[in-house]
This record gives sequence, C-alpha cells and structure tokens, in this order.
Amino acid sequence: MSRILDRVMDGMDIETFIICVSEDEGRRLTLQMFREMGFTDADIVFIQFQGPGVRVRARAYVHRPGDNYGWLKAGPVEGDVK
Amino acid sequence: MTPRTILLAPIDPVHDVGLKMIRRGLKEAGHNTILLPPDLPPEEIIQEIINKRADTVLLSRTLGYGVAEILARFVDLADALGVRERVKLGIGGMAIRPELAAELGFDAGFGPGTTVEEALAFVEDREYVPEQGKRDKQKRDLTASYTYAYGNSVIAELLGQITGGILAWVQNKTSPGVLRARAREELWDVRRWRGYGKMTEFLKEYPGLCGEMTRNFYLKGIMHPKTRRFTREEVAALENYVSKTKERMTVPGLQHSLKKPMVFNQYGTGCPFMDTGHIKVSEAWGADGVIHFDPSWGARTEGFMDGFLTHQEDGTVITPANLNRIKQSLEPGTLWQIRAHRGLNTPETAVLAGKFQADFTKINICYGALGAGTDPARMTVDGVAAIKYAAKYGLPFDIVTNEELCGVPAHKAFAGMLISCALGLRLGGKPVLQPLFCYSPEVMVEGWMKDNYVDFNVAKVLALRRIIDAPLWPGAPIGFLTHTEDRIQSSASTAYHASLAAMLGVDAVTIASSDEAYSGGPISAPSKVDTLRAVGEGFRFFGNMKLEPSPQALEWSWQIEEDIAKVLRQVSERGDFVGALYDGILGSREDGAYPGRNGKDTVMNV
Ligand code: B12
Repeated sequence: MSRILDRVMDGMDIETFIICVSEDEGRRLTLQMFREMGFTDADIVFIQFQGPGVRVRARAYVHRPGDNYGWLKAGPVEGDVK
Repeated sequence: MTPRTILLAPIDPVHDVGLKMIRRGLKEAGHNTILLPPDLPPEEIIQEIINKRADTVLLSRTLGYGVAEILARFVDLADALGVRERVKLGIGGMAIRPELAAELGFDAGFGPGTTVEEALAFVEDREYVPEQGKRDKQKRDLTASYTYAYGNSVIAELLGQITGGILAWVQNKTSPGVLRARAREELWDVRRWRGYGKMTEFLKEYPGLCGEMTRNFYLKGIMHPKTRRFTREEVAALENYVSKTKERMTVPGLQHSLKKPMVFNQYGTGCPFMDTGHIKVSEAWGADGVIHFDPSWGARTEGFMDGFLTHQEDGTVITPANLNRIKQSLEPGTLWQIRAHRGLNTPETAVLAGKFQADFTKINICYGALGAGTDPARMTVDGVAAIKYAAKYGLPFDIVTNEELCGVPAHKAFAGMLISCALGLRLGGKPVLQPLFCYSPEVMVEGWMKDNYVDFNVAKVLALRRIIDAPLWPGAPIGFLTHTEDRIQSSASTAYHASLAAMLGVDAVTIASSDEAYSGGPISAPSKVDTLRAVGEGFRFFGNMKLEPSPQALEWSWQIEEDIAKVLRQVSERGDFVGALYDGILGSREDGAYPGRNGKDTVMNV
C-alpha cells in the first residue's frame, strides 16, 4: 500500500480562520500547525488579519517540479477502485 | 417499458424544489408520479406508499441536521410494515451522501447536482451513462472570419512605409538565431528524429551556432545546472499515466451557449511531467488551449539543448523531446501554442512549433526588444525570420503587448503590435492582436481606473477594431497585475476580465491560475481549476449579453487611435525602425522600456 499523499499532484493547501491578535501571530501559528502535521516544506500563500483573527491559506508542497512524483508510480491504496 | 408508479416525498420540513425537478423528468418519461407535501412524518409517508400501491419511492432530504436518525426511523418502519422489500427505494438531496444511503439500506443515494437522467435510469433499472458528446472538441481557426482590411487608411499607409523599410533593412542580414533556425529547418527532420534516425548533418553544424552553455551540452555533455534527464522508469510511468488518464477524459467547454472566446491557460512548471499533469487538469476543467512557457534564461541563451529534460525552476525547457511528449499528451481538440516571441531563439522556436504541429506561436519584435531584453537589431532580424517560418507553417501568431506591463502606454505598445501585424500580413502570415487586459501601470499612474476596470480595456478593443479587421485575443494573461495572492480575488478578477472579453465578442483569452500572484512556489493544479471554474461561471452569468461602451470608453478609444497614428508617423519619419526602438519612440526609458542587450552585435551582413 502506498501513501495517499503520493497522489497529491503538487501542493496541499489548508484554508482556515485562526483566532489570533496579529498577522505575525497568525503566520507563526499556521506554520507551526503545518510542522505539527509533519510538513516541513510549508509557506503562506495568502493571509489577512482583521480584529477577530486571520483568514489564511497555507501550502505544503508534496511534489515540486523535477521531483519523482508519487502519483506516477502510485500503487493501489487500500479500498481503491480497481 | 412499463410505466412505474412512483411516490415522491420530501422528508424535510420545507425543501422540495429538487424533488419537483426530478418529478417533472419522470412524468415526461411517462411514469405515474405522486408528490407528497413536505413535513410529513415517516409513518404518514409509509401509509401513502401502501395506499397508492407505489412500486418506487423517492425521498428527498435537504436539511443536514438529524439526517441519519430520521432516515433510519423511516427504514425501520418500512421494514416493520413489510413495505421495504416491495418497493425500490431511492433518496436524494443536498444532505445525502452515497455512503450514508448505502449504510441505511437504500437502493441508491443521490447528492447535489443529480441530473434527471440519473434519477430516470435508477427508476428504469438502467445503468446511468454520463452525457456523451463532451468527448470531442473541434479545433477552430480563430483567424478564419477576418479580412485584415484596414479601417484607418492613415495608419495603413504608415504601416506600409515602416514595414517596407524593415524588410529592406533585414534583407542582407542574418544572425546566429536565423542560422540555427535554418539548420533546424533544413537539416533536422522530425520524422527521422521520431524514428531515432541520426542527425549527423545537423549536429555537425548546430553546436557551432550555439552559445557556450548549449555548445558545452553538445560537445562535452555538460547539462544546465538546474536540469536533469528523466530516467527510463519515469518515462514509462508517464506514458502509463497519460494513457490511463486519456481513457477517462472528457473535455467540457466553459462557454455554455457562447461561440467564443476560447480560453487558453499557460503551463510551464519546469517539468514536462508536471506540465502534463497540469495540462490534463486544465483540459478536464474546460481549457480550449494551452500555452508552453519556457524558462526566462531560454530567451538569453543561444540555442536549444536536446533530450527529455526537466528543470527545477519556472518555465519548461524547449527541446524536441519535451515538445514531442507534451504534444502527445494533449487531447485531439486542444489547441497548443508555443511562444517564440522574445529572445535569441525566436525563429528556431517558430520552426519547432511548425514541425511539432503546434496551432499557434507568439511573436512581437517590439516587446522582445523593449520589454524582454533582446537587442533591437537582433530582435528585428530574428523576428522577421520567425514570422516567415510561422507563415510557412500556416501558424497564426499572437502579438503580445506585455511591454505595457513595464509601463509603456497602450498606444505605443499598440503601434509596435501593429507593425508586427503588418509585417505578418506582408509575409503571408496570420497575426492575432493581443491587447493587455488589466489594471496596467499606465492607468495606475494616471489614475484612470478609479471608478472601474472596464472602460480603458474596452477603449483598447474599440480602437483596434476600428484600425483593422483582425482577430483579438486579450491577454496575457488577462487580469495580470490585477491579481493578488488571494485565490478568491484572483479567480473573481479573472472571471470579470474574461466576461468583459466575452461581452466584447473577442476570439480568445489567456487566463492565469489563482496562484498567478504567488511567488513562493510553483503554480498548483487546484489553482488552475479555480480560475477555469470562475471563468465558466462568468460566461454562464452574462451569457450572450453585449457591452454598451460608456462615453468615457469611446473617448479613450479615439484618443488611443489618434496616438497610435502619431507614434507610427514618428517611426516612419525616423526612417529606421531599429533606430526608433533605440530612441524610445515605441516605448521609452521614462516609460519603463529598455532596449535589450542580449544578442548585441550579433547581427551579421551577408
Ligand atoms: C430554496 C431554499 C429554501 C426554500 C425552500 C422552498 C422549497 N419549497 O423548497 C425556503 C426559503 C422555504 C427555505 C427555508 C429554510 N431553509 Co433553505 N434553502 C434553500 C436553498 C436556497 C436552495 C435549495 C434548493 O432548492 N436548491 C435547488 C435544488 C434543485 O437543488 P437540490 O435540492 O440539491 O436538488 C438536486 C439534488 O440534490 C437532487 N435531488 C434532490 N432531491 C432528490 C431526490 C431524489 C430521489 C433524487 C434522485 C435526486 C434529488 O437533484 C436535484 C437536482 O440536481 C438552499 C441554499 C442553496 N443555495 O442551496 C437553502 C438551504 C438548503 N436552507 C437551509 C436552511 C437551514 C433553511 C431553514 C431551516 C432556515 C431557517 N432556520 O429558517 C428554512 C426552513 C425553515 C423550516 N420551516 O424548517 C440550509 C440548510 C443547511 C443545513 N446544514 O442543513 C441551506 C443549505 C442554506 C444555508 N446554507 O443555510 N429554504
């Protein structure tokens, strides 16, 4: 069984709203959240702070151009349609 | 087929619109239908099933609260009363997930977006086959209906003088770029290459015409540092991926009832594999055409490398193998553009585009010389040669005016575009005008778009239409510089520009992804889907509406037309096109245009 993440074509975005007091804090929390999820190659695509917190979209690249793409050699994942 | 007796019941306090839609389809197909009102408890619905002797029951649930409970209660009761085994039981609606329906023992579950045909197939025990006919898109020649007749005789005459001067000037000139293009044209045969034939003659001549990097590649086998060759396993995996994906592909259009504009997007992640991934996604989400983006260093490098190569930075390297693979991955109806426009490989790119049967190329001498860093003299010699090859291969080419993005006012950029267009026509080509559609530096600086982003873009189209009857393809991409990193803003902005283009009846648009303004990493596949979906929604929303230009747009259009004529007169009076480029007549240093230096002093007399 291969990792499902192998099937991600390029990047994985997470969009959410984080309660915080400033954009800086929002950035920090977002990147930390990605690290906690095990993504090291993460970046903030868009962030906007207003009083209640940040609306943020952050991205972790699973495959960058020139990598060996998991989706080209992906074996079946458990429960897959054959 | 015997008509069924179908009882339809909203198992919901109010929502029944979806169910009514489905009912109409079933009635039209000749079935007997009974529709119950909303808000009945399961007991009453079951009683009605018995009373009406229904053989099929269709429930609908929209509210997402307490769904599992109420449906489970329905099924338990139906079981207990012996109804369940006697009827075919389906459920649909916004709250329904197929997983839940199956778990609760329904015969089928239908979520949002169900078609009447799907419901009908269920009722009639047929297998549902999604609508066919979306599989083939036909390629259309967007230049076909144009006469290229001038509507402004003053401009026509000036263009005649200027292009006459250019053609006379280039007549006894050549360059390494022109010579490489000739070698590629005469000594490199695509069929022989596909059959792994040796290119001895070509390889004898070509490296000597290249710059150091490319020469080292041929003579010493040294690769560009950011590139590598694919392995055999990778290639086999790609082939497998492409053929499997093609089997499943359908190619929808975004235009609904509109005939145009066609929608193009760009690929150029650096890696032909990733590009192929992106291209298949773009096609599947409605793109009519795709555009090959090469790396920025490609424009500054004399000559192309060879082999199936990936590159780790923005832009996909042009090599015969890369183009060949990408071509093979396209659906038959997808239009394909290979940009030649701006650098030291312009004529050879046009030759390769021709040999690999691209549908378009892109050439603009002025943009190449003023906005893209190529020496004006070299760009002129190479540009004319590229136009000749485009004409020879019957390749229409767009004339992009992205020098506007550097700050050059629209009228100057358009004067330059019209010169390339007129050259194209004199040399038997099929030029396509590409005005920039965006919030451009000129209008930012002048404060012209305070009220709307419409009028100035409309003015450009009106002016060009009065000057010449030629195809129009705003770009490139539309909304450039108007986008931000926010995907909502980017997608919305792209859709507005595309809708504006549609309302003006132009032939095509090039769109960006919603990652256009994000520079932290490569463009992602979902961001391509974002803008394609947004554009489709824009086309849907405005439909066949035409735009009535405002007085301001009209006024600006006259101004642009007048100013174009002025610029062309200055170029003509200068009597030397290359000199005019250096002097800034078509875009000055103050505007933000700088005559390029790549390929300086490489023009040779013959
Ligand atoms: C129209 C509407 C109403 C109308 C309903 C009129 C009517 N007679 O149906 C009115 C204004 C009355 C209404 C009221 C309410 N509504 Co309302 N309403 C909508 C709205 C705008 C559209 C739903 C709709 O008709 N879509 C069009 C149809 C064609 O689509 P469809 O139902 O999905 O059907 C398709 C498929 O699902 C499928 N299908 C559906 N049924 C079946 C059955 C079978 C057998 C098959 C094969 C297929 C099938 O085929 C259809 C065609 O593709 C949605 C929001 C939205 N934009 O979707 C909210 C929405 C459904 N409403 C909602 C809510 C909450 C309510 C209220 C409870 C609000 C309130 N608190 O007062 C009230 C109800 C009050 C009450 N008395 O309980 C929420 C539900 C949220 C949730 N999580 O459940 C929504 C999503 C809006 C929102 N986001 O808040 N609503």
